[in-house]
Amino acid sequence: MLIQEILHKNPICVAPETTLCDAYALMQKEGIRHLPVLQGEKLSGIITDRDLRLATSRLADRPFEPGASVSEVMTTDVRTAHPKDPVERSTQLMRELKIGCLPVVEDGQLIGIVTSADLLDALLRLTGVHHPSGRLDIRMKDSPGELARLALLLSERHINIHSILTYEENNQQARLVLRIGTMEIVSIAAMLCDAGFEILWPPQRSCAE
Amino acid sequence: MRRVIYHPEYKQYNLGTEHPFSPLRVEMVLDVLKELGHEADFSLPEEVQPKDLQSIHDSDYIEALEAVSAGKTVADIGKYGLGTADNPIVSGMAYGARRIAGGTLLGARMLLDGSAQKVLQLGGGFHHAQRSLAAGFCLYNDLALAIREMTAKGWHVAYFDIDVHHGDGVQKMFYNSENVMTISLHESGEYIFPGGGWLHELGRGMGRSLKLNLPLEPFTEGDSYLEAVEKVAEEALRWFKPDALVVQAGADAHFSDPLADLMLTTQDFERLFQKIFKMSEALCNNRLLITLGGGYSFQATARIWTILYQMFFGLKFPNELPDAWLARWESKLKIKIPSRLHDPNPAFEPIPRKAEIVRTNRDLIQRLMDAVAADWL
Repeated sequence: MLIQEILHKNPICVAPETTLCDAYALMQKEGIRHLPVLQGEKLSGIITDRDLRLATSRLADRPFEPGASVSEVMTTDVRTAHPKDPVERSTQLMRELKIGCLPVVEDGQLIGIVTSADLLDALLRLTGVHHPSGRLDIRMKDSPGELARLALLLSERHINIHSILTYEENNQQARLVLRIGTMEIVSIAAMLCDAGFEILWPPQRSCAE
Repeated sequence: MRRVIYHPEYKQYNLGTEHPFSPLRVEMVLDVLKELGHEADFSLPEEVQPKDLQSIHDSDYIEALEAVSAGKTVADIGKYGLGTADNPIVSGMAYGARRIAGGTLLGARMLLDGSAQKVLQLGGGFHHAQRSLAAGFCLYNDLALAIREMTAKGWHVAYFDIDVHHGDGVQKMFYNSENVMTISLHESGEYIFPGGGWLHELGRGMGRSLKLNLPLEPFTEGDSYLEAVEKVAEEALRWFKPDALVVQAGADAHFSDPLADLMLTTQDFERLFQKIFKMSEALCNNRLLITLGGGYSFQATARIWTILYQMFFGLKFPNELPDAWLARWESKLKIKIPSRLHDPNPAFEPIPRKAEIVRTNRDLIQRLMDAVAADWL
């Protein structure tokens, strides 16, 4: 999954001379937390609702006035994403820098924005929950051919796999969370159990025999 | 006035001898009625035509489904959810689905023109079918078709789904609608199909707080289930005051069902049906349309729907099932069928986690009622 598949196009932006008060009102009205700051066509900074709240807080050393301009408060060293970046790369970057969004820039032009909420939506899509399906959680040997064996057992029964998530456990074991198109999840789980896969979900399901 | 709708052509909705959604389940019911000497009097529906389905399905989906059902090849049929284990391609299935949809639609029309107050449609309940997607054994969404027929005449309709699986297709089609309330009680979608039906799915826009879901714990028993019916469904209907109630009466919440893990007995179903009749009379303008639905333990499903039929007409069938019927179906299905209409008491070993399950469900009911309280003033 690439950033271009999940980004918001034509993000709402402000100019450097916009007042803090106006930027705040805009965020409230649009229900957003991040505003890229454009100087002409060029991305010159970014301002978040947190920046505004901290900058104008009565607890600050020298609080900014509501009429101060965005350019006095914004972050100027803006990290950006490219539309062809894989989503996991951008997620890593946001976690590393502890930031909540990345403006998306292509050929020097701001073309979109992705936020942490978009990445959560992307995760949801990866799990396949939007498709009518049943859920399996499986532990299996982390070795070549195991996944193929599992997929073959499902394909022989004409069962479509809507999503596969997999991650490594210790001791050469792999965990697999699948969403598959079947009403008969219980009997499928028993069949896979018989075939030597450890079924963690549905819970308390033993083999058919 | 009470009417039962059925047509022998419903049998054309047959997805194969190995498929769980079998027409034999209804045949078992009809056969036991005959054996008990009950003369059934059915209203025979017409089939709906493909073009009449465009209010609930996209035309490319209808065309594709009709084509493969007529033996033609359609490229990319998988995107419509067809040709899978759950929804295999079988000749004539679209016709069967239209014949059954015609029955549910006839039920709606009977309520609309006042020719019946209570209608039992002996088939249908295809609650998983979506605008452009066959799912969970369902092709055409007969329930949505019937509901839309009534809302088009300005009625407010409540839909109550007691199938063990979430009524996702119906909910989705009316998610924004202020005229339709959907209430689905089902086993929690943690692993069973279709995976949704969570508490937070409350409807959108004008339909907010009109879509209610109770994802019950696996191994929920009858008392806890009926508590949910009283505290959620009854309250919801009392507030919404619909012009009619549509019920999807799947029988797969029975403890012996192989596809799910709720633990209702036939006695629990009897109490549940009683409640449904009472609610429709007192809170839904005394208009009720019941369809069938899931139910994959054939012996339990046949007994539950026979109980439903008996209660629908206020009949009193003997608890001992006819020997000839038992012998015929035991040999045909190669299964053991209990010799009584009702389950023994107790019907199963005590569930170890019972107290915890009851508590979790109660908490769920509370959270749902809290979530809608502000909108239900």
